[in-house]
Amino acid sequence: MAAEVLRMIATKETVELDDRQLVEQIRQGDDGAFEMLVRRKTSKVYGLCYRVIGNSEDAKDISQLVFLKLWENLEKYDATYAFDTWLYRMVTNVAIDFMRSKQSRDNAVNSNLRLVKTSIDPEQTVTVARKEVESVFNAVSNVLSPKQKTIFVMSEMEDLRSSEIAKVLGCRESTVRNHLFNARKLMQAQLKRRFPEYARLWEESR
Amino acid sequence: MMTCTSFRANLQPGNADAASLDHLRHCDGCLDFAMNVDPDLFFRSLGGEELVPPGGIDAFVGDVMSQVRVHDAEAALAARHNVSAWQRWAIAATVAAGVTGATLAYRYEHPAPRVAQTLQSVSVAQTLQSVSVAQTLLSVPRPATTATKSFVETYSSHDATIVEMPNDGSGTKIVMIFDDKLPADL
Repeated sequence: MAAEVLRMIATKETVELDDRQLVEQIRQGDDGAFEMLVRRKTSKVYGLCYRVIGNSEDAKDISQLVFLKLWENLEKYDATYAFDTWLYRMVTNVAIDFMRSKQSRDNAVNSNLRLVKTSIDPEQTVTVARKEVESVFNAVSNVLSPKQKTIFVMSEMEDLRSSEIAKVLGCRESTVRNHLFNARKLMQAQLKRRFPEYARLWEESR
Repeated sequence: MMTCTSFRANLQPGNADAASLDHLRHCDGCLDFAMNVDPDLFFRSLGGEELVPPGGIDAFVGDVMSQVRVHDAEAALAARHNVSAWQRWAIAATVAAGVTGATLAYRYEHPAPRVAQTLQSVSVAQTLQSVSVAQTLLSVPRPATTATKSFVETYSSHDATIVEMPNDGSGTKIVMIFDDKLPADL
C-alpha cells in the first residue's frame, strides 16, 4: 500500500515537472519532455500570437515557428531567469518581425475598411457585444506599430505588468509605459474615426 | 468566482483587479455595464481565456514535433557534409596546385611563337633612273587579307621597263616592271 502511494507520488512528480526541470530533461535528449512543454505552452503562445497578429492561421504558423526556434535555442536558455519571460521574448520577436513584414503589405488595403455601419443615430443606445469588441480591436489596432500592439496586448489582454513587459522586450519600464500611453491614444482616435458609436462611451464618461 | 452584484458594486474607473477582469471576461451581462463605468475596459474585456489553435492542441503538438524531427534530420545531414576550415584550405591548395601545374605543362608543350624581324635591304640599280628600294619583310605570318588584288598573267607593252633581279641561287626569279599605264593597285 505504502509502495503504491510512493509510486503514485513519483508519477505525479514526473508529470508535474516545472518548466526548468522540463528544459533540463530536454537538454539531456528527452523528446517526450519537449512534447510536454509544447503541450503546456501552446495556449499561451498561440493566444499571444493570435492577439498580436489577429488571424488564426497566421497565428498558428507563427506559434509553430516559435516552438521550432525554442527547440533550436534551448541550449541558450539561462535557468536563472523565468522560462515564461524567455518564451514571451521569443514569441514577441517572431510576431513583431512577422507583423512588420505583413503590415507594409496590408496597410494600404485595410486603412479604409469598416466592420460596422458608419451612420449612427445619436439617440441610439450603445450595446457592447463581446464578439464585436474583438472585430473592432482587430480593425482599430492596425494603426499601432508592431511593438506598440504587442505591448498593448501583453498589458491589456495578458495582464502583464509594465516591469514584466520590459523584461520580455529587453527595454526600460518607462519605454513600455510610453508605448502603452501612445497606443491607447492612437486606438481611441482611431475608434472615434471609424467606430463613433463606441467612441461615445469615452465622450459620455467625461 | 465573483458575482455580478459584487462586480458592479466594486467596479471603479481605472481600478480593475484580476478578479474583476476575470468576471468581466466571462460575463456578457456585465460587459455593457463595465463599459459605461470605465471605457478603458473596452479592450480589456478581451483576453484571459485559453485560446486553442485551429485543429486542436493534439494536431498542433503533432505538427510541431514532426517539424522538430525534420529539423533534426536536416541538421544531422548538414553535420555529415560539414567541412572544417583546414579541410577547406587543403582543398583550395590542391586545386591551385593542379591549375598551376597544368598551365606550366601546357606552356612547355606549346611555346609561344617568337616574333622575328628580318630587315632586308635591296638596292636596285637601273639604267634609266636610280632607285633605291628598301623592303621590310616580317617572318611572322600575317592574317589573310580579304581584299582581292588584280594580277597580270601576260603583259605586252612598248613603254614598259622590265628589270630582272639578280638570281640569289634559290631558284626564285624576281622581275620588276615599270610602266605608267599599269593600274595603281597592281
